[in-house]
Amino acid sequence: MLRTFFRSSTPLTLRRISASPVAARSASTFIGRQSFTPMRFYSAGAAKLDKDEVTRRVIDVIKAFGKSNAAATITPTTLFNKDLGLDSLDTVELLVAVEEEFDIEIPDKIADELKSVAETVDYITSNADAN
Amino acid sequence: MVARLRGIQQDVIHFYRQCIRAAMKKPVETRPHFIDYIHSEFGKHKNLQRKDFTTIEYLLRVGNKKLKMYSQPELKDIH
Repeated sequence: MLRTFFRSSTPLTLRRISASPVAARSASTFIGRQSFTPMRFYSAGAAKLDKDEVTRRVIDVIKAFGKSNAAATITPTTLFNKDLGLDSLDTVELLVAVEEEFDIEIPDKIADELKSVAETVDYITSNADAN
Repeated sequence: MVARLRGIQQDVIHFYRQCIRAAMKKPVETRPHFIDYIHSEFGKHKNLQRKDFTTIEYLLRVGNKKLKMYSQPELKDIH
């Protein structure tokens, strides 16, 4: 949509300004720069992660972690300590592995509260830096 | 575990997290050595009484010093 807009508007602008040479030059450099760098906001760059995708990746991390009992039957409602048989230190280790996977750092306060797969997924999807 | 961890227990958990994060910064080949070392160091005191605050505080202090030493980037492997 943006491209069609440019195509239709550029010649018109040039035609209008070309009467004065100075204005024409500045206008063409201006347009040149515009077309080189398509408008892109920092926040818009990373599309928000899909919840199912995040769940799948978290479950993959848990399976790769190896220590868990019932690796075959991990669902979003699975609890780290009860269903997977992880102690508090194992949970910490698992969350650090998840951090590595999504390239984020979960603050201590939040990490202490994460007890299930669903809670972890919710936190990751709400974190804009995750990828 | 269901009851929320408080005070010194939380300090230990946070310290453990720092250790694991520091180990994750090491080269991939030697990373398991660091992780195993952390496990063995924590495992040594697995049977400590939960009210034995003096010992736990002492171990946290010693541990923090060790963490500082081992997390230096020049240190690439331990045995």
